[in-house]
Amino acid sequence: MQFLEFARVCEHLEGIPGRLDMIEQAAAVLPRLDDEELPIFVRFIMGRVFPDWSTKKLGVGPNLLYDAVAYVVGTKRETVREAINTTGDVGLAVEGLLAKKEQTSFFIQELGLLDVYREFERMAAAEGQRSQREKLRVAQGLFGNARPLEGRYLARLMLEELRIGMGEGNIRDAVAKAFEVDVRLVEHAHQAMNDLGEVALLARRDPGALSRVTIEPFRPVKMMLAQAGTIAAQVEDHGEVAVEYKYDGSRFQFHKVGGVCRIYSRKLEDVTASLPDIARLLLEATDRDVILDGEAVAVRDGKPMPFQYVIRRFRRKHEIDSMMEKIELVPRVFDILYLDGETLMDRPLAERRKALDTVLRAHVAPQFLATDAAAAEAIYAEALDLGHEGVMVKVPGSPYTPGVRGRLWVKVKPGVETLDLVVVGAEWGEGRRAGTFGSFLLAVQDQGRLLTVGKVATGITDEVLAELYALFKDKVIARSGKEVTLEPEVVFEVGYSEIQTSPNYGSGYALRFPRFVRVREDKSVDEAETLEALVERYGRQKNGQGSL
Amino acid sequence: MLKATIDAEIFRESIDAIAALVTECRLHTAEDQIRTRSVDTANVAMVSLELQSTAFNSFSATVGELGLDIAKLKNIIGMMGKGDALTLTLLDEERKLELSFGGYRYSISLLDVNTIRKDPNPPGIDLPGKAVVPGDALNNAIKAAAVISDKIALGIDPDAMTFYMEAEGDTDHIKLALGEDELVALNPVQARSLFSIDYLKDMGRVMARADEVEVYLGIDHPVRFVFDIADGNGRVEYLLAPRIEAD
Repeated sequence: MQFLEFARVCEHLEGIPGRLDMIEQAAAVLPRLDDEELPIFVRFIMGRVFPDWSTKKLGVGPNLLYDAVAYVVGTKRETVREAINTTGDVGLAVEGLLAKKEQTSFFIQELGLLDVYREFERMAAAEGQRSQREKLRVAQGLFGNARPLEGRYLARLMLEELRIGMGEGNIRDAVAKAFEVDVRLVEHAHQAMNDLGEVALLARRDPGALSRVTIEPFRPVKMMLAQAGTIAAQVEDHGEVAVEYKYDGSRFQFHKVGGVCRIYSRKLEDVTASLPDIARLLLEATDRDVILDGEAVAVRDGKPMPFQYVIRRFRRKHEIDSMMEKIELVPRVFDILYLDGETLMDRPLAERRKALDTVLRAHVAPQFLATDAAAAEAIYAEALDLGHEGVMVKVPGSPYTPGVRGRLWVKVKPGVETLDLVVVGAEWGEGRRAGTFGSFLLAVQDQGRLLTVGKVATGITDEVLAELYALFKDKVIARSGKEVTLEPEVVFEVGYSEIQTSPNYGSGYALRFPRFVRVREDKSVDEAETLEALVERYGRQKNGQGSL
Repeated sequence: MLKATIDAEIFRESIDAIAALVTECRLHTAEDQIRTRSVDTANVAMVSLELQSTAFNSFSATVGELGLDIAKLKNIIGMMGKGDALTLTLLDEERKLELSFGGYRYSISLLDVNTIRKDPNPPGIDLPGKAVVPGDALNNAIKAAAVISDKIALGIDPDAMTFYMEAEGDTDHIKLALGEDELVALNPVQARSLFSIDYLKDMGRVMARADEVEVYLGIDHPVRFVFDIADGNGRVEYLLAPRIEAD
């Protein structure tokens, strides 16, 4: 497939309003691709370059992209930035610049889908001092050969934000439809392989194998997630529940084969080098080959420390030794997904828990079984006394479903409800906040689109405000009066008192008394709250159920 | 096979000529010369360079192709002193090039030629206008234009018998016309094309050292610069695609 054809497919999909129609159209394209192109197409169409489990990164920032386009068009970085500010979209701006570029060239080379992927691999492989120059050279070469429409999607792909509304759910359905396989099998294989590209290939070549796909060490899978809920409802629905402390730490996935281990963050980044203490403790605690799910917790004098201490360590790349002395991290392991060559994900939690107790000599997080709400509430009270965030209430019969935020795991914590929302814009502050951003525009995600849900300005100290300004100042993609549009890359945890319907925001909802809680550095944009979940929360609150 | 000794200054001049456009290139060796032809990443400018064996103090080579990391070579050249003699030795089995000068002995890894773009075919274009200009005059005009604009027009006015360079800023305008007295030669054919100064600046710095630069022009066509290096034992050619202004 030529990249131009890919661009045309994207343009076509971008213009389709309905989800079903979109799936239909995407499904029609998949069978036409050869085996090498299929996985790449599937990832590209979701705005991703590499498999989700891969720790490879393209590493192209907006400025590098602007410089590459400026070089090819024959203009300055500022002109490119202005064009982006005017259109509010990198892709459209680049398309426009390429369409009216004055600089001619001697020839252009037709770009194939595979050519583009290989060039992206070169970018990802560039390391060290000269990596930026090498990436720039590759980007110049790509834009130098790109027609305007190709430029639109090249630019968006480089920033891994395709904005055509083709999310995981849609492409999963398209794969099932294209190769006439059960969508549940596609979902199962996706959970274990963590790359829809390879799943698509398998669905075509050997659909029977989809059900046999297993999790593999050193190929992290997404973490199973929990919904907010209540103890009473969970006990009423399921009878017996497993209650665990909800730690104010950072989630990790630990993979070990023999004496070799890797630790992955919630975003599936390899953080082994930043967490040598966790690695050592867990290596010492078992002789088996395992994949474990747990939380890294900061401890001082035996008492848990807040999340911010943990995340500081996850981010740390240098001077880890001196940092280790200040913050002691310990693992709290609560699940096991893989043991000595065997996948445990499909087994019930109770069975996995038994396996965990036998293979891990230490660091297993306590779990309490409760059959009535009062007993579970007592554990909840104890958790809060110990300084934890709350409790997780899990169904003992539940399988491990990567990436799914279901009702099988429920988180219960006191006080303000919070949402993890994408920051898509900001407003310049006034008075004491002049010179920095004073408020931030927030959005939920919906099938790859970001829909606004309100602004947050309170709960931010001056110190944090300065930090946020430093974080966002290079992410501005458009300006209009006092408002700026930001590259959607950062997730805020935001507290609120109530969700209300609202005509003022794209989602149709707004938050009452929104309050900044913290930056969720461990969360990527596609992990932010979905419109669906927001609507569900709204529904529960209207019915007077839940703790809202 | 390659084993050759060359004056450090000539080598520096040659590498600078290539480095104006690319950071890596395929270098072809033959019994009597070395040569390269490369195009920049955006396919806007080409450089070709030939250095005859006579440019070297000693030269012995067979037909071959080496992948040169020009950026790395530029750094090493910075260490060389004026008047140093540089010996280049291809260590075939290791795919390394050894550079020895003034007591230093650098061994640099060659790039896999397959990772470097193939030599571009020179486009077949007819550029009827020709002016022969002193290199420093050309470079000075480019530098002057760069102050007010990011593009420059190069042209020939057959009526006035001049070769001219003209740049238009937002508010400012600059024009330099060289008549027969200042030019080495002129073929007076009507010509005018617009070029990006970013490219010309880097080429200009290299051309400044040449006594004479042949400039070939057309109307809204590429420009070709041709000049000698290494006392006439080498030749460099630049080709730059024009900018065409939207109406």
